[in-house]
Amino acid sequence: MGDPRISRLRAFVARALGLFRSRKRDSDLDEEVQAHLQLLAGRFAEQGMSREDAAAAARRQFGNTTLLQEDRRELRTLVSVEDFARDLRYALRCLGRSRAFTAVAIATLGLGIGASTAIFSVIDNVLLEPFPYKDAGRMVFPRIQDTARGEEGGRQGYTSNEFLELVEQNHVFDGVTGASEDLVLYKHGEGVEQLYGVHVTPGTFEFFGMPARYGRVMQPADYQPGAPPVFVMRHKTWMERFNGDPGVLNKSFVLNGTARTLIGIMPPRFGWFEADVLIPETPVRGASTGFAGLPATWFLLGRLKPGVSKAQAGADATVIVNHLAKINPQDYPAHFQVAVKKLGDTVVGRLEPTLYTVLAAVGLLLMIGCGNVANLMLARATSREKEFSLRAVLGAGRARLIRLLLVESMVLAIGGGALGVLIAWGGLKSIVAALPQDMIPAESVIELNAPVLVFTLVVSILTALIFGLAPALQAARRDLNDPLRDSGKGMMGGFRTGRMRDTVVVMEVAVSLTLLIGAGLLMRSFVALRELHLGLQADHVFQTRLPLPEDRYKTAAQVRGFFQPLLSRVKALPGVVDATQSTALPPYSFQGSKIEISGKAHQDEWHTLLQQVSEGYFRVLRIPFKAGRAFSETEINDSRRVAVVNEAFASAYLLGEDPIGRRVKLPQLETVADPVRDPWFEIVGVVGNVTNQGLQAPIEPEVWVPSTVTGSGAQVLMVRSQQNPMALMNDVRQAVWATDTGVPLAFPSALEDRISQSLYAGPRFAFLLMAIFGCLGLILVTVGVYSVLAYATARKTQEIGIRIALGAEHADVLRLVIRAGLRLVTAGVAVGLFVSLPLGRLIAADLSPGVKAHDPLTLAGTTLLLLVTGTLACWIPARRAARVDPMVALRYE
Amino acid sequence: MTDAKKSEVLQGTLDLMILKTLHALGPQHGFGIARRIEQVSHDVLQLNEGTVYTSLLRLLQQGWIAAQWGTSDNNRKAKFYSITARGQKQLALETENWERISGVVGRVLRLEGER
Repeated sequence: MGDPRISRLRAFVARALGLFRSRKRDSDLDEEVQAHLQLLAGRFAEQGMSREDAAAAARRQFGNTTLLQEDRRELRTLVSVEDFARDLRYALRCLGRSRAFTAVAIATLGLGIGASTAIFSVIDNVLLEPFPYKDAGRMVFPRIQDTARGEEGGRQGYTSNEFLELVEQNHVFDGVTGASEDLVLYKHGEGVEQLYGVHVTPGTFEFFGMPARYGRVMQPADYQPGAPPVFVMRHKTWMERFNGDPGVLNKSFVLNGTARTLIGIMPPRFGWFEADVLIPETPVRGASTGFAGLPATWFLLGRLKPGVSKAQAGADATVIVNHLAKINPQDYPAHFQVAVKKLGDTVVGRLEPTLYTVLAAVGLLLMIGCGNVANLMLARATSREKEFSLRAVLGAGRARLIRLLLVESMVLAIGGGALGVLIAWGGLKSIVAALPQDMIPAESVIELNAPVLVFTLVVSILTALIFGLAPALQAARRDLNDPLRDSGKGMMGGFRTGRMRDTVVVMEVAVSLTLLIGAGLLMRSFVALRELHLGLQADHVFQTRLPLPEDRYKTAAQVRGFFQPLLSRVKALPGVVDATQSTALPPYSFQGSKIEISGKAHQDEWHTLLQQVSEGYFRVLRIPFKAGRAFSETEINDSRRVAVVNEAFASAYLLGEDPIGRRVKLPQLETVADPVRDPWFEIVGVVGNVTNQGLQAPIEPEVWVPSTVTGSGAQVLMVRSQQNPMALMNDVRQAVWATDTGVPLAFPSALEDRISQSLYAGPRFAFLLMAIFGCLGLILVTVGVYSVLAYATARKTQEIGIRIALGAEHADVLRLVIRAGLRLVTAGVAVGLFVSLPLGRLIAADLSPGVKAHDPLTLAGTTLLLLVTGTLACWIPARRAARVDPMVALRYE
Repeated sequence: MTDAKKSEVLQGTLDLMILKTLHALGPQHGFGIARRIEQVSHDVLQLNEGTVYTSLLRLLQQGWIAAQWGTSDNNRKAKFYSITARGQKQLALETENWERISGVVGRVLRLEGER
């Protein structure tokens, strides 16, 4: 009861309540005081005083009633709140009076806050809270990691045995779902189409806590043996494949040969595994086969019990898997541990650093904005010196003055914040359009939500403190007498505040240069990426994978039996230039082989990448021959042992020799389906290098052999077209079904789009945003330099007038002002360059290899841009100064 | 006046005196409290009677006293203050505190005198 905290709390509550009852209490007190005074006066009168004397004596003994009122008021209510309301009213009136200042300040802040809000929404919705599932923050998946390989990679697919062990033995999950992927062939009247499917364990939808949008999700009964087969469809698939037709619900679909009823369509944000269809399956012990004859593996997603850490969960899972490893050691690395990863780790990859880079850029932009507003406020504070001194003389304390100015800043910042939300709301749409779609989780929807708005509010208040504190402190530090004497137009013109404004401008220029350099580097990097020669022409090429049913396509002859008629059909289509079959899609080759070359002895192992292609391959991709020739149709048809190599191959293994006619052995081909025995091939041609390890990695040696030599691999169809390649899709699909109704088009697209989606989209996004923010920063800095110079020259009108009167030329004045401005700009540039060099290394990861963080061209270009803009910003105030009429300037005093 | 000889009321002791007054005499209005303190202090203390009301508010906010409108002896409307149970406890605590401190201060002052 004597606890001072409690008694302080009690007092606070009473005071807070007092805010609402002040009137009544004041009159109560008056009554009490009057009664008291009368009683006192009565006593004095009894002692023989006159009425007047008695009343006076009573007042004397009672003390100062006004002070008492004040004391009581201070005790009774929260003075600060009442004062705050007064400050707020005053600030609004003040800002309302200087509309131009308010507009510029709010616009500047709105820009900065809006940009930060927009980027933070992206980060929040893509990186922080992308999933709409119940307790998504506690969802993790275990991954077996080889201790020798550290955090890199690992296995997260489990056999049904492992999966069930983990589910049954763990102590850390309060819910678990399993997912086993499956390529689903959906058969309808005309042919088959491929869907990406996932088998899900009982309780999956309860786990995610999401009901179906239409129809229903799987119930326990659907998992019972003998239950009628059902499945659930993703919203996106429903829209794209069935145009959102509600009629498909409760219809039967033949999926992988089984007739299943579509019982539900999920809401748009449900995107688990990015699966088109979800099929119920109860995992059972013992080997089961998934698609393509491989053993089915289950991905385990568990929800941690509240309070269980990832480390605890990993340790628990490690114990379980250790038991399994004792029984089947061959299935596990010699030393391993199980780590659990967050749900988000499945998707978000390269976009994360980019987004944080952009957020940092936006932070810099906001800093420039703050600098501008701080400068405007400093300038205003200088012209309000008299007002502040007067307030100080009349008894306003330092704290009171600071508070007054901070409230003004707060009002500006909140205004800026409100504008910022509007800007973010508008800008977000364009940002979402530029986002590389396959780099964000399928579930994420980017929008302004509550956490984002809280972020905006916090940023606004922080900015208010950042830009408001310096001017407030400055104003409060004033000597009481000086400004009252000063006319406000003196020559010294607030020397100290002048230096502060200059510092702010120098910092702004530095920050802006840093931003511009960042944008410049990313632009250079992006351009370099675009110019990077793939070694082939990817435009006007349609591509699709054609997964052939394993049971009917085992031998080379069977595969040829499909592709030969298909290629002739496709080549005959109107608008088709050429068509080919291949193993992989540029710019990647996956298959590799050890090699031997006739007449070459070597100690170390030689490797090459390997593709099987048909004769049109080099023509479709326009890959130039450096020596020799391409495969002939006969060679393909007869499965001849011929090969084409790339220049990297020739220079790596046959430097200075003629590769044509040399024989190369590819042992890998002995191991595949319908293998080649004694796989020696004669080199008939050398082609130019084609990127085969992605855009940025060095090109590896590569060998092409006829598609017909084995029964495996080459299941990609590429078609060169005269028009938009996607226009061919339906014709190609009909051609495929005309050849075999059991073959679907898998992942069809235009080759060029595919390459740019996976390779350019990220860098383009980074560069685009950085360029926008860099430009905004430049504009803000221009405004900043301009306003500081304009203000300084306005205050020096008199000095300039005297100079002109004393014979200074027009040009002298111009030079005077511009030199003052450029001094600031160059100082800022120097600081900026100094700071950018280490900062540049931070975005080095986002840069393509050809571009260094200290790229001289970028540095020079951005510096020049800033200097030119800076000069322009100085020009207008300088011209105005030069036009000063000395008579007017002097008379003004 | 005789002000020069009178002592200022020590900071914080007024609260204690009011609590004690209400404890000893039961519900009182502000004027009554002021009179009682004046009487007990034998004109040693100089009391700005207005400060009594400030003190009363402070005590009200802590919940140590309660207030109620009533009628005084001479039939005037007046606000009567009374000590609450919490106030009783606080009074005991504060009294003990005060005695301890004043004892210490007294001892220290006597020491000074002996030198």
